[in-house]
Amino acid sequence: MRFVSFRSTTSVLVTTALLLIATAPSQAQTRAETLRYVTGASVNTLDPNIPGSTRESFALSMSTYDRLVAFGRKQLNGKWVFDLDTITGELAESYEVSSDGLKLTFRLRKDAKFQDGSPVTAEDVKWSLDRCVTAPILGKAQLLTGSLTSADQFKVIDPLTIEVTLPKPDKLALPNLATVYPMIINSKVARAHATPDDPWATAWLKEHTAGSGAYVVESFKPGEQVILKRDESWNRGSANKPAFFKRVIVQSVPEPATRANLVERGDADLVLDLQASDVQSLEGKGKLKVISTPQYNAITYVSMNNQIPPFDNVNVRRAIAYALPYEDMFKAALFGRGSPLFGASWADGKPANGIYPFQQPVKLDLDKAREYLKAAGLPEGFSTTFSFNVGQAATAEPMAALVKESLGKIGIKVDIQKLPDAQMSTQINEKKLPFYTEGIVAWLPSTDYFYRNFYTGNQRWNYSSINNPDLAAIAQEARFEPDKAKYEEAGRKLNAMHFDLMPQIMLWQPNQDAVMAPSIEGYTYEFHRQVDYRDVSRK
Amino acid sequence: MMTGLGATMVRAGKRLLSSLPALFGVLVFTFLLMRVLPGDPAVFFASGPNAGKEEIEQIRKQMGLDKSVPEQLVFYLSDIGRGNLGRSMMTGQPVLKDLRERLPASLELTFTALLIALIAAVPLGVVAALRPGSIVDHGVRLFCALGVCVPTFVSGLLLIYVFYYLLGLAPDPTGRIDVFTSLPPQRTGFLSIDFLLAGDFEGWWAACKQLILPAVSMALFVIAPLARITRASMLVSLGSDFVRTARSVGLSWRKVVVTYALRNAILPVITIAGIVFSTMLGANVLVEKVFSWPGVASYALDALLSSDYAPVQGFVLLMASLFVLVNLVVDICYGIADPRVSIE
Repeated sequence: MRFVSFRSTTSVLVTTALLLIATAPSQAQTRAETLRYVTGASVNTLDPNIPGSTRESFALSMSTYDRLVAFGRKQLNGKWVFDLDTITGELAESYEVSSDGLKLTFRLRKDAKFQDGSPVTAEDVKWSLDRCVTAPILGKAQLLTGSLTSADQFKVIDPLTIEVTLPKPDKLALPNLATVYPMIINSKVARAHATPDDPWATAWLKEHTAGSGAYVVESFKPGEQVILKRDESWNRGSANKPAFFKRVIVQSVPEPATRANLVERGDADLVLDLQASDVQSLEGKGKLKVISTPQYNAITYVSMNNQIPPFDNVNVRRAIAYALPYEDMFKAALFGRGSPLFGASWADGKPANGIYPFQQPVKLDLDKAREYLKAAGLPEGFSTTFSFNVGQAATAEPMAALVKESLGKIGIKVDIQKLPDAQMSTQINEKKLPFYTEGIVAWLPSTDYFYRNFYTGNQRWNYSSINNPDLAAIAQEARFEPDKAKYEEAGRKLNAMHFDLMPQIMLWQPNQDAVMAPSIEGYTYEFHRQVDYRDVSRK
Repeated sequence: MMTGLGATMVRAGKRLLSSLPALFGVLVFTFLLMRVLPGDPAVFFASGPNAGKEEIEQIRKQMGLDKSVPEQLVFYLSDIGRGNLGRSMMTGQPVLKDLRERLPASLELTFTALLIALIAAVPLGVVAALRPGSIVDHGVRLFCALGVCVPTFVSGLLLIYVFYYLLGLAPDPTGRIDVFTSLPPQRTGFLSIDFLLAGDFEGWWAACKQLILPAVSMALFVIAPLARITRASMLVSLGSDFVRTARSVGLSWRKVVVTYALRNAILPVITIAGIVFSTMLGANVLVEKVFSWPGVASYALDALLSSDYAPVQGFVLLMASLFVLVNLVVDICYGIADPRVSIE
């Protein structure tokens, strides 16, 4: 009796399986031309310039809009990453930088069209760049880092030529135009939806696109998914061809375990932001392609507020730097998936080059830590709190436990404080946290940019609240230094100062783990740390 | 009969009116609670690498946080009066639109789960009550205990692992419908109904398949209280005079158990089902997360984590209104199940 019922179940299963196989080919055809990309966060606006926009929104805008220029790509340890030093044309057919570095001239492609079929003109470019520096949007603060601050700087020469004038030769002016914000908008369409209160059509562009990008938005459900359709006339891909995939589905799946299941079962093509343990097991099974790229424009820190005692004492900061169990933290938090910024050996006691971030010659050495504590006049140690935000609990929690344990050995009593994300951002902004861990990302990772933004001024990103006029002066000067050797020298000086002052402790650069079907090719690590759908194709 | 129904309606109307002050209280309380919570949403949302003081101020203005709290409250209440629940910073959409889009998803899931739970729990409770102390009774108790002690996200992940990952029987656990299926014209917002109205049975089946796993993992969790109440109230009912009388006059077993005992035992089950329904709507946040279900609970949680005031306030108001509504429905069901209730 049992046997029979078992057999009937089996036959049902077999029939179901056969049915599935029978229906598979018709599905497979549409699947092959579709990229299904699943991610933890969601697209919340179609205009990345809106305050509060997510990383997914950045990536989306790269495909729905074009910029004047784009970053090239290069190989780093056998993996494709974006290349800050190669700027290629996107809407610009060619560009020229004047010999004094004060004028950038862009010649637009003759064949570039917006998605409504109208040609891209210099007028549109000017309107879009004007919007970026004038409207109250995110682009304003970004373009400021490239000396682009006023609409007067953008001049239409003829319908296909636009000229950008700079007050000083700024290395970051051109790369800034390749970032997310200065996208080129169809000004006629956007203007038609502008209102006297909202002359730059920010409200309309949040839910609609008017670009010339590789993909057209087919449906947009904030918080759930976006479906994109290829723009067949877009030809700014490699070999002047349209993008590979006919359709792209960007779907939010908050649960990382589910994302891992989806890609393993072959239902999703490409996944980012999995748990380190899942990535390790998927890599072990060997069925999928796993591309792990160190996020070379991101850094995880242990920060100390240099204005709050006892961290205002350099010897206390040095003591902490020698009391952190780096190796254990790296393994516990990231399963070793990243590149460490500790444990270097500097032969002559000087930094090897002027690139930031760099590996510092610090490692766990409790005797040395005790000496520094004594030098600081705190041989018995002290009490403090170590904070991290809930959103990063997966990596920060094990790390915090190790910090507490290790500092306990030299008499520093640590209370671990886990804060909701909004609360943590508030406290960091108000400079109230003495000791905590945080991470940063810079789109344009050049040494002076890092030092200017993260080690000077009374702003949020100066996590250590360091206020050192020498450091600030060197970083400021380096910004406009045209001579490569002198720039490198300034970088070396800054790095040496970093090690000497130890305002905060760089820990590592976490990997970006992209897990994909074996048939997916061309994945490139981009500055916005998301997938550029135009990069990928299917074998 | 008409008078009975009329009386029920009058009672329902009175109940609705008397709940308005409570709703207002909830409104003000949630508003104040959100303001008291530490964490500045403006700073959180201005988290881009270049967001400085200016951006923070701008977001603060956009969210209306630059005004004093009493002023904000007045603006908020007048907005609510005009049916405007504010705008979510997370999705960039008006909260009302978000909730309207997401509520049907949550309701469909919760109704299905409750239906599954009732279909399983009532017979289980009845069977257990008919043979108290027997192996069957203990079996039911064990099953209920297992259901309650396994949290919904664990059972959800387990179901996904077995039915999706290992066996491949279930569709991928993301959202309400396979991404490749085209949606029916929206009428009720309930996909299982909209597909039927559109006459698309393939789509209907796809939507149902997608619904099974999350609904089952939610149902497992609430079978226990429903089954326990059914059992207890059946025991009382079976031991009462009217059942003994019914038995003694030689009515069939079926008639005694179903018509006399169960009909009388069902009242407390309706009450509990009402309460269970309201709690499920808010508490299914973990199921919604695990199955990427675009419902209101996961929406509210995300909003809470990022101190996005408007959606949280909107969600609480919605929940409070639903609670009032569910209580009304329970009242009406009472009146139908036992007309004596309507007599004042």
